[in-house]
Amino acid sequence: MESNLVQYVVQDSGILIEAALVFYLVWTSKWKGQGAAAFYLSSLVAGQLTRACFLHEYGLTSLRYYYAYWSTDFLLVMSAFGIVCLFFRRACSREEKMWRLIRLFLVLLLVLVAAISGVSLCLNRHDFFTYFLVAFNQKLYFGCLVLNTLLYLMLHYMNSADDQLELLVCGVGIQFAGPAAALALVHLTYGGWFAKLLAYLTIPLCTFGMLLVWAYVIVYVPKTAGGLGRRDAPLRAVPAELSKL
Amino acid sequence: MKNLVLMFLLAVLVVATASSLWRMFARTATIDGVRPLVAIGTDPVPPFPPPPPKPPKLTR
Repeated sequence: MESNLVQYVVQDSGILIEAALVFYLVWTSKWKGQGAAAFYLSSLVAGQLTRACFLHEYGLTSLRYYYAYWSTDFLLVMSAFGIVCLFFRRACSREEKMWRLIRLFLVLLLVLVAAISGVSLCLNRHDFFTYFLVAFNQKLYFGCLVLNTLLYLMLHYMNSADDQLELLVCGVGIQFAGPAAALALVHLTYGGWFAKLLAYLTIPLCTFGMLLVWAYVIVYVPKTAGGLGRRDAPLRAVPAELSKL
Repeated sequence: MKNLVLMFLLAVLVVATASSLWRMFARTATIDGVRPLVAIGTDPVPPFPPPPPKPPKLTR
């Protein structure tokens, strides 16, 4: 009963925060500069409202909720991939050559994930939903995790001045890295306790954490120079003898 | 602070990659009715339905 209460609180709070952020972006006209965030938050609202309707109507263990959950997860993972691509675009706004290369790599990655999931479907033709859709979601999820980490490293390597983008990427990192770490624990320990922790707590709480980070970024962090504009190097200290001259 | 986040992300990346490779070789089984998978959203993850019964083999 208590765990159900926590689940419902986290679920409804998540939807409320997402809807409030979308409303805030539209109300303050910030969505023009935050198109990627507005797009992803709108997808989250649409997906989660659908899930919430099915959950309250049919219950957690029903087959209909199961299908609704994993179908909307497909939408959300595709949106997550889209937002990682948009973040790469924003990071490379001054580097057209690099963006062309990255764009090719992103398209190839998506095709590769679809092809591997297709092979999985060919081996198990009796269950399209589990062996293609869910498998595709899982592989693209890990693809997004790797891409997001690479983007974070790229921003650090280029010493980017776009603080807002860095924090948005950190937020997405929380959402991807937390469940992936819990999944790793499940497979390393074969523990049922970890599996339940992953399914009922880690995934919702990590998305919730991402929403809090994004809320802070959208409301409080101003948009600075975009692209790979680098921070100015700190001035060297002038020796005392020279400063007297 | 940023270095800590970076180290955490790198550690997760390494462990997740190792885990994914392990999963490719080991069969993913249902643990206590919950199949461990990753997803997005603040909604509770539904348990996997039981697999459909296999059709009986035809005998001559």
